[in-house]
Amino acid sequence: MLFDKLNLLFLATVAASVAYCLAVPGAFFVQVILWATLAATLGAGIRFVMLVGELNIGTSAFYGIGGYTAAYLTTAYGLPFGVALVAAGIAGGLVAAVFGYATMRTSGAYFMLISFAFAEIFRMLVVESDFLGGNNGIIGLFVSVEYEPYFAATVVAILATLISALAVIENSSLGKSFIAIREREEIARSVGINVLAIRVLCLVISSVVIAVAGACSGFITHLVTPNDYTFMIAVFALAYVKLGGEEHPTGPILGAILLTLAAQYLISFGAYQQVFFGTVIAVAMILLPQGITGRLRDLVRLTAKRTARDAG
Amino acid sequence: MSTFIQLLINTLQIGAIYVLFSLGLTLVFGVMRLINFAHGEFFALTAILIAMQMGWLLPDAPFWLQYVVSFATALGVLMALSVVIYQFGLSRFLGDLSSGFIFSLGLVLMMRGLIGQIFGNYPMTAPPLVEGAIYVLGGAISTQKLLVAVLALIATGGLLYLVFRTKLGMALRAIAEDQEAAMLQGIRYKRLALYGFLIGSSLAAIAGGLIAPLQVVLPTMGGELIMKAFMIVIIGGLGSIPGAIVASFLIAALESFGSYFIDLPVVTIGVFVMVAVLLVIRPQGLLGHVVR
Amino acid sequence: MPAETQPLFAAEGITKRFGGLVAVSDVSFEISRGEILGLIGPNGAGKSTIFNLISGFYRVTRGRTVFQGQDVSSLPIWKLARIGLARTFQHDSLLKGMTVRDNILVATTQFIRNPAEREKRMSETIDIMGLGEVLDEKASNLPHGHQRILSIAIAFSGRPALLCLDEPLTGFNQTEVLGGLDIIRRLREEFATTVLIVEHNMRAVMSLCDRILVLHHGKLLGSGSPEEVQNDPAIIEAYLGKSE
Ligand SMILES: Nc1ncnc2c1ncn2[C@@H]1O[C@H](COP(=O)(O)OP(=O)(O)O)[C@@H](O)[C@H]1O
Ligand SMILES: [Mg+2]
Repeated sequence: MLFDKLNLLFLATVAASVAYCLAVPGAFFVQVILWATLAATLGAGIRFVMLVGELNIGTSAFYGIGGYTAAYLTTAYGLPFGVALVAAGIAGGLVAAVFGYATMRTSGAYFMLISFAFAEIFRMLVVESDFLGGNNGIIGLFVSVEYEPYFAATVVAILATLISALAVIENSSLGKSFIAIREREEIARSVGINVLAIRVLCLVISSVVIAVAGACSGFITHLVTPNDYTFMIAVFALAYVKLGGEEHPTGPILGAILLTLAAQYLISFGAYQQVFFGTVIAVAMILLPQGITGRLRDLVRLTAKRTARDAG
Repeated sequence: MSTFIQLLINTLQIGAIYVLFSLGLTLVFGVMRLINFAHGEFFALTAILIAMQMGWLLPDAPFWLQYVVSFATALGVLMALSVVIYQFGLSRFLGDLSSGFIFSLGLVLMMRGLIGQIFGNYPMTAPPLVEGAIYVLGGAISTQKLLVAVLALIATGGLLYLVFRTKLGMALRAIAEDQEAAMLQGIRYKRLALYGFLIGSSLAAIAGGLIAPLQVVLPTMGGELIMKAFMIVIIGGLGSIPGAIVASFLIAALESFGSYFIDLPVVTIGVFVMVAVLLVIRPQGLLGHVVR
Repeated sequence: MPAETQPLFAAEGITKRFGGLVAVSDVSFEISRGEILGLIGPNGAGKSTIFNLISGFYRVTRGRTVFQGQDVSSLPIWKLARIGLARTFQHDSLLKGMTVRDNILVATTQFIRNPAEREKRMSETIDIMGLGEVLDEKASNLPHGHQRILSIAIAFSGRPALLCLDEPLTGFNQTEVLGGLDIIRRLREEFATTVLIVEHNMRAVMSLCDRILVLHHGKLLGSGSPEEVQNDPAIIEAYLGKSE
């Protein structure tokens, strides 16, 4: 009931953002919308792997794979934006399949650690690769001039569609299989689920979406560097999920919007921004273990119970 | 031959630091069933505190005395900090891997930001404790490195004694063996977990203190080390003490021999690939049991 | 051997060792098509271990398991499930955080991809098991009886040829036991399901099963019809006589 309203709120927010981006394409707030959209996609993507019970710190690497694939293809071969996005998604998915095949046999702490290592290794690989510009990265991701006014609106629309697709999959029988694996792997196996394959599939789907978002991030800043894709990306993504609440797909979106807006305000704090984010994460974990949406749901239930009791 | 000896001593010294650090990480995991990402920050903060105090705290005393005193105060600060972090934070997440990890990530951001603001994000150095070199089988070995390796091995020995020969150690191992039974003990468990956490954190701090006079001290050095420690505990098996020791020296050997013949980043990437292949064959690590 | 006379399942000298402990020792038996076979024995006899060997959760130390003429000793669990070998669990046999409907959906979806057909199959399962009233309840909120029935429903969703039930009636009252037995009998009559059942309720086992295997300290002590088993002095000595 509450969650249905949250879904509507999500659609309304997306529609309003797209409209705003089309109406005033050059406005500063369009940038904020874009950042929030990227953040929301990261949150939704990392939460998707949490459906099978894993924390994928490697999310930042898949974001980077998307960014670098798009950057390389557009600068070296002059491919257009749309093709770059598709290629980024494919690259993210392929790497996720290989990485997942090796690592999704582990779970819990082991997966978390190896995915963290993967995030760091990705960064090191990029720094060591001359054709990817090493520490300087790659500059020059642009969309064509006549397309520029529609760019922001397109990005919001594409990523919102992908976020919705993740939610649709979550509600499908495939999504229930993910959750079944998290709930009790033995039962999932005993009813014919090839647990490794399904877990890898979950990682692949998430990584495709994350990589497309990474490609978009490159086009937004026109530049990709190793420092744009450190494991901090995954940390922030987790912060969106934890603050917003992980139970419902709109949770990380809410968290992403709130923290992106807060970050805009906090830019004036300079270096203390990091401290602020750290504090938000730590304090949210203590005070809001279920996140904002979880807290809201509890409140709604409580009120409903009270009204029922007062009436009866 | 002399190169070989040098690389071997190098392995010993790096490995000894890795052992201390990753034993701390794996001990905290065994007792609390969570991974404390801020472990690396504890390491870095101790080194920074020592580098900062030396030459300032007792400017006229000999270096070794300055070192001992700053080491002691830094360790004290770290212990106090650990108690606060445990009481107000981590103790709420005992046995809750994902929440505990995310909370500790929050801590990392806070600590990194604050360390940068307070001490500045530039490299510091502590003066060397002893100068000179010792010659073994034709190879020159920095006395300082040897000293640090020996101190680290002594600290490791102390930990092993604590864990395997004392009552407290026995209680901690019992917790690590059977987490669920331990949880049922309530208050007693929480207190023991605090001791386990303090021991684990102090190992990170000791490692940081030992590294301070050896290399340039940087606020980011905790982040680099913790990734290696992650590889180490994956190879050795989470919660496994012998596993952590063996894997530490394995990684140290690969690094010091590897970086002599090839590039260090290539070695690090190679180690990652090796770990990934290992996971396909043995998802629970080389020496570990299945932990979920 | 022609398919009709060939047993549905055969355990051939299966042995399972855990370190020094031999939990199952050189056990051989066959299950014919359409049979309801009981497996009894005191706690720790190795019954659940045999289930785990049959369903692929453990690997045999020695011997082999044969299902529909095929050696299945080394097939992964999910493949065994897909070729028609299903089992329930003695403990924690549900997806507790999910609704009853989602439990059955997850169990059905691996076998039927088409949503409309899947829906039909699910309603059939729900009808037989009598879970229609509690579909939207979270499994963990169900009363115990419903929980055990749901675990049978999960295993039966794929319409297995061989259904292995590990103590399905534990904690049931008299009426619930009768209801449970009725469901199991219907599975055989309406779906030709072959059943292997471990159960401590002796009266239930004796009335339900065509044949009974008695396990003791990991070894097969004997087998036969309920009457034969009840009158075998060695079995009475080892098991029936001592308990209750
Ligand atoms: N995974 C295991 N590891 C070690 N021992 C086990 C394992 N599973 C079962 N056992 C042992 O095997 C014996 C048989 O157990 P089980 O098959 O559960 O008996 P039953 O189901 O007949 O009560 C017991 O002694 C039990 O402790
Ligand atoms: Mg049993």
